[in-house]
Amino acid sequence: MEDFLQLITEVLEIEDRTITAEDHFKQFDEWDSLARLSLIASIDDQYNVIIDDQTFTKLETLQQLYDEIQGRI
Amino acid sequence: MHNPFSLKDKNLIITGASSGIGRQTAIAASQMGARIILIGRSETALQQTAEQCITETRVLSLDITNYEEVSVAVPSCIAEFGKIDGVVHAAGISTTLPLKNITAEKMQPFFETNVFAAIHLSKIVCSVGNYNKSSSSIIFISSVMGVVGELGKTIYSLTKGAVIAGSKSLALELASKNVRVNAISPGVVVTPMSQNAVYTQNQEAFEKTKSLHPLGLGEPTDIANACVFLLSDASKWITGINLIVDGGYTAK
Ligand SMILES: NC(=O)c1ccc[n+]([C@@H]2O[C@H](COP(=O)([O-])OP(=O)(O)OC[C@H]3O[C@@H](n4cnc5c(N)ncnc54)[C@H](OP(=O)(O)O)[C@@H]3O)[C@@H](O)[C@H]2O)c1
Repeated sequence: MEDFLQLITEVLEIEDRTITAEDHFKQFDEWDSLARLSLIASIDDQYNVIIDDQTFTKLETLQQLYDEIQGRI
Repeated sequence: MHNPFSLKDKNLIITGASSGIGRQTAIAASQMGARIILIGRSETALQQTAEQCITETRVLSLDITNYEEVSVAVPSCIAEFGKIDGVVHAAGISTTLPLKNITAEKMQPFFETNVFAAIHLSKIVCSVGNYNKSSSSIIFISSVMGVVGELGKTIYSLTKGAVIAGSKSLALELASKNVRVNAISPGVVVTPMSQNAVYTQNQEAFEKTKSLHPLGLGEPTDIANACVFLLSDASKWITGINLIVDGGYTAK
């Protein structure tokens, strides 16, 4: 989980705070369509997991995203 | 009556003939009388295209980025099929990747398929004995992404811009051999490629993409007909152009 949070921090370029698994990532100030593309591509790079759009749309917290990735590895 | 748009007695090579735009171009060209060598990797899908063609065809299933194989298989197919009057390079691959995720390694396959294979094939066709010296036509299927941009389309744009630029220099070089070289740049056309793309995955993104095309999304036949024109004698004074076929996408 720590590596995962580190990846999210880097991809979304979060500089001013520490994020947690409970955070609703789509409500971050840094969240926009480019961040979304970047996150999906980075998850593919890092975990070799491609999350389809329909599934991704349903995810809200970082924990849910993490679980989704783990379930597909 | 003489029809300048006819492709009767012309021999063509079409890459990407197993799907989408390339397949429809083969079907349309066949209806206009052309005989065609169909290229793609999936033999089954190429056979399905062949079944929809009403003229003689050859199925040549190979990976166009396997240059050595192409160098052997294409000339021997031409030797048996007849000299080539036209080429459509419709094989292509696309991606959506932000700068952060781009590496030189990740760019490679897109350049291999969209750019290098196009030039490699042109070189083979334009060598002595392989093409019709009195009039031939080469078409590179580019994209509006070779002219304008979109978020995350950097790699794809690089490859599509490359073939537009390259086609102009090639047009000059090959003019004395009566070979015309042009690009066609489609907007979003409904094919397996666009259906798998991120911008059509959810309803909202799909509607947005659609709204960017004043005449709606394109059909493969819209591009196929443009190919028929640039392959035919009706376009005998046209070379080095980029024909944009995009339902108005770039009109704004
Ligand atoms: N659809 C659009 O919205 C759109 C818009 C602008 C431009 N374009 C361009 O139009 C062209 C055709 O696209 P499409 O929408 O028809 O895509 P598509 O349905 O995905 O077809 C792509 C074709 O390329 C072939 N191909 C890919 N890699 C190949 C390789 N290494 N060797 C041999 N064949 C290969 C595929 O055949 P196999 O899988 O059998 O190998 C398939 O026939 C592409 O250049 C694309 O960039 C499309």
